[in-house]
Amino acid sequence: MSQPTDAIRARGLVKRYGEVTAVDGLDLGVARGVICALLGPNGAGKTTTINILTTLTRPDAGTASVAGFDVVKQANEVRQRIGVTFQDIVLDPDLTGRQVLDVHARLYRIGREERKRRMAELVALVQLEGALDRLVKTYSGGMKRRLELARGLMTSPEVLFLDEPTQGLDPQNRVGIWEYIRDLRARQGLSLLLTTHYMDEAEALADQVGIVDQGRLVAQGTPQSLVAELGADVIRIAGSGDSSHLVAQLGDLPFVDKVSHRPEAGLIQIGVDNGSRRLAEVVTLASGNGYLIEDIAVARPSLGDVFLKYTGRALRDE
Amino acid sequence: MDATLTIWSKHMLKFWRNREESLGLALQSLLWVVLFGVGMRAMLGELTGGDYMSFVVPGIIALSALSGAVAGGTVLLDERLRGIVKEYLAAPIPRLSILLGNAASTTTKALLQALIILIVGAAMGARLTLNPLGWLGAFVLMVLFSLGFAALALAVAARTSSMMGYHGLIFLLNLPVLFASNALYPLAVLPTWMQVVTLLNPTTYAIDGLRGAAFGADGTIPYWICLLVLLAFTSLSVWLALIAFRKVTR
Repeated sequence: MSQPTDAIRARGLVKRYGEVTAVDGLDLGVARGVICALLGPNGAGKTTTINILTTLTRPDAGTASVAGFDVVKQANEVRQRIGVTFQDIVLDPDLTGRQVLDVHARLYRIGREERKRRMAELVALVQLEGALDRLVKTYSGGMKRRLELARGLMTSPEVLFLDEPTQGLDPQNRVGIWEYIRDLRARQGLSLLLTTHYMDEAEALADQVGIVDQGRLVAQGTPQSLVAELGADVIRIAGSGDSSHLVAQLGDLPFVDKVSHRPEAGLIQIGVDNGSRRLAEVVTLASGNGYLIEDIAVARPSLGDVFLKYTGRALRDE
Repeated sequence: MDATLTIWSKHMLKFWRNREESLGLALQSLLWVVLFGVGMRAMLGELTGGDYMSFVVPGIIALSALSGAVAGGTVLLDERLRGIVKEYLAAPIPRLSILLGNAASTTTKALLQALIILIVGAAMGARLTLNPLGWLGAFVLMVLFSLGFAALALAVAARTSSMMGYHGLIFLLNLPVLFASNALYPLAVLPTWMQVVTLLNPTTYAIDGLRGAAFGADGTIPYWICLLVLLAFTSLSVWLALIAFRKVTR
């Protein structure tokens, strides 16, 4: 799967901050032209990974290359070929939108005519034409994010990194940013790595999802294939009583793919071949084991269920 | 070089836009000359033979360059705390250009301020030399001096994690450096121990050289020594700043 032409390739990345191991042997491969989402809770090591891949932080161990260049030994080559938006909004409040884009492009030695041309194109893409000559401090949160997106693209990067691109935005603005990112997919050759702790964001945007937990990549694949691994349907039951026997017995049933169990929340999640057909059997088994069901639901599995399967925790438990 | 220029021009742009900062700086220079210079002259006029203004204007220029350096450090610190430095770090530019761009904008502001001080000082009676070589000599000293202290402030700004911490550390750079120099009083009137202290202070060489070059005063220290000391001081400061900066960005 990994060829030298991959957009991103990481092997065994490790980064420690004192006692804390932020990234703990992370492997990642992203092919060119692909949108990959790193999904994981806060503190999973997503931002540290982005910092290593964008040459801001040196890894303690492991290697990584971006656009074919080593992020440590050929940092400047990497920097010429990437665009980044950071987790926090990083904009000079006392500059206008036009100046922000212009200064950025000048740092990359892009000529005046080219700067003008790209600015016109990108500002149209993120719909900031009317606000371009206003000071950034008068922008709304969504406008700032759109300006940052345009800034990341000013230098025509081969690989674009977006760290939590919609954090802190209201739902309407989030959907807007998603649309801009999907538009980018149309650009030839652009590869994109974004991090998110929103399941719907990964599902809406990504060709490929990597699940990050405690500094490792625990699963990677298309959202469809990851979800399909869980089985056709998921039965979720919540209740009280002795669940350990029930979980053991469920695991032995031929039609059950995978049982995830969170005793502290009283939740059991069962991947089955057909939810509505197996519902009765699950209920019978539960009452036979003295488990009192309080709530039961059949659902198509989601990335959230995938996350639970690989990490034993819901994405929201932080 | 391009990146240094870009960062410099961005800071100058912010400086012009921020009216409080640019007007405040001009007003500050004006008030120092008019209030401090005139007040001190009235008191000391009889002692110094009436030309205290020529004596104190170089000192006021040094003072404004020092407070300019402190302000220049806050520009970097502000960009660090806001995360704007990350934009530079992810760009294909040398790390040194981030520091140089900052130091250059600080120095430019200090030179503008020096110009105002010179004009107001001359209007208040300071006797400037008419020799263009003297002007050039003074200009070189002012650039080196301002650059050196700007770099020191940047070294501190690169390491501290808050505005409070910065101002606590940077306090040393300001008034004590000024008082332990020949800015306000001639070297000759100081007790020996204080003469030793002032001769360890690069500010003394900047001011003495400036007095000789721009005001035709009889310098206590030869110009070439002032130049060498400031060259050494500025190189050392830039080097320190680069080390401090490298440590934080990795």
